Amino acid sequence: MILAVGALGLAAGPALAGNAKQVRYIGIHPLPKAEGGGICYIEGPHVHIYGLSGDSDKLQYRDHHGANYFVGDPVAYGYDGERYAYKGHHPIHVAAVVGDDDPADVYCYINGPHFHYFAPPEGPDFKLAGDAYFYVGEPPRAYVEARPAMMKINAVYQPLVYTRPVVEIDAPVGWIGARAEFVAPAVVVAPPAAAIVAPRAGVSVEAHIPAPSLHVEVGIGLPGVVVHERPAVIVRERPVIIQERVRVKHDNGRHRGHWK
Amino acid sequence: MRTIMVVIAAVALAACSKSGSDKSATPRDKVLEAWKAGKIEPTAMAAAQVAVGKDCQSGRVEAIDVLICNFASPAEAKAAEDAGLAWVGQATGASQARGPALVVVADRKKSDPNGRLINSLLKLAPP
Repeated sequence: MILAVGALGLAAGPALAGNAKQVRYIGIHPLPKAEGGGICYIEGPHVHIYGLSGDSDKLQYRDHHGANYFVGDPVAYGYDGERYAYKGHHPIHVAAVVGDDDPADVYCYINGPHFHYFAPPEGPDFKLAGDAYFYVGEPPRAYVEARPAMMKINAVYQPLVYTRPVVEIDAPVGWIGARAEFVAPAVVVAPPAAAIVAPRAGVSVEAHIPAPSLHVEVGIGLPGVVVHERPAVIVRERPVIIQERVRVKHDNGRHRGHWK
Repeated sequence: MRTIMVVIAAVALAACSKSGSDKSATPRDKVLEAWKAGKIEPTAMAAAQVAVGKDCQSGRVEAIDVLICNFASPAEAKAAEDAGLAWVGQATGASQARGPALVVVADRKKSDPNGRLINSLLKLAPP
């Protein structure tokens, strides 16, 4: 996956007369501001004469057979189509989205509630609760290895102001966002007190402890936070975000890809 | 009895006629029919001498240039996708095999900045 990400930007199409080179994309994706911004709604394979630029694009796209595939939240860029709410990290079965037969997954590392324009495929790895999908499967090594680098995507989304899904229900058992191995080592929480120690540079920590349940989120991108021995801690370093409850549509996992 | 025989003969004739009509429709015809069924009306298609294939016709849907080529097999159409992208040139576009047809679209006038029309053209084309 890391190699695939490194290949981004090389997704060029056939050589053409003239200066501009075609760049291959697959699926919907944000348009560069220089092209007017917004969303490109072409769901299948297609080309543009502009490519990816900057670190944020490297975090928001994965390579799929030489084409750039967007893994971010399209609603943040003005997408107004069908959408599905997720909470936390999860795999994306690209084949189910774009309709090809490549079984390889890519991974979304956006913390907290966000949208995609596809529902996950049927199966035990996702649970639908409170109108949002939670990943409860066993994350593969590729997810774990790329996680430190890809978590930086949250610094891209943190300042974006848009209507995110509101997910207030407790996460299902096994949700990846509540598993200690994906929270440690930067955060140690021992109820009833939250002991948050050894913050890393550039790490923000958010801990909610609505007893008796426990919820911890870790994001990267803001100055470190040190919290010691308090019975309940809420630390926020976020811009004001206007949130509204939004309707999401579900197809109970029967999604077969959009463009065919 | 005679009436029944006449009805059977008429039904059989109609079935043969319908079947014959389907056989005469080329892959390109099916794409154009699907577009029309989706309320998308292309301009008259004209024969195009292009490197993409030997049996191609081009036209326009609104300001989008379209090229549809017939091939002998789906594999040949698939193999021609890159040639289709070369026809797109320096523009947003797509080249996708649909069975033995190749559908190529190019937005050379930047008339469809969000790609909604292109997406409709590609989604309506029968697989």
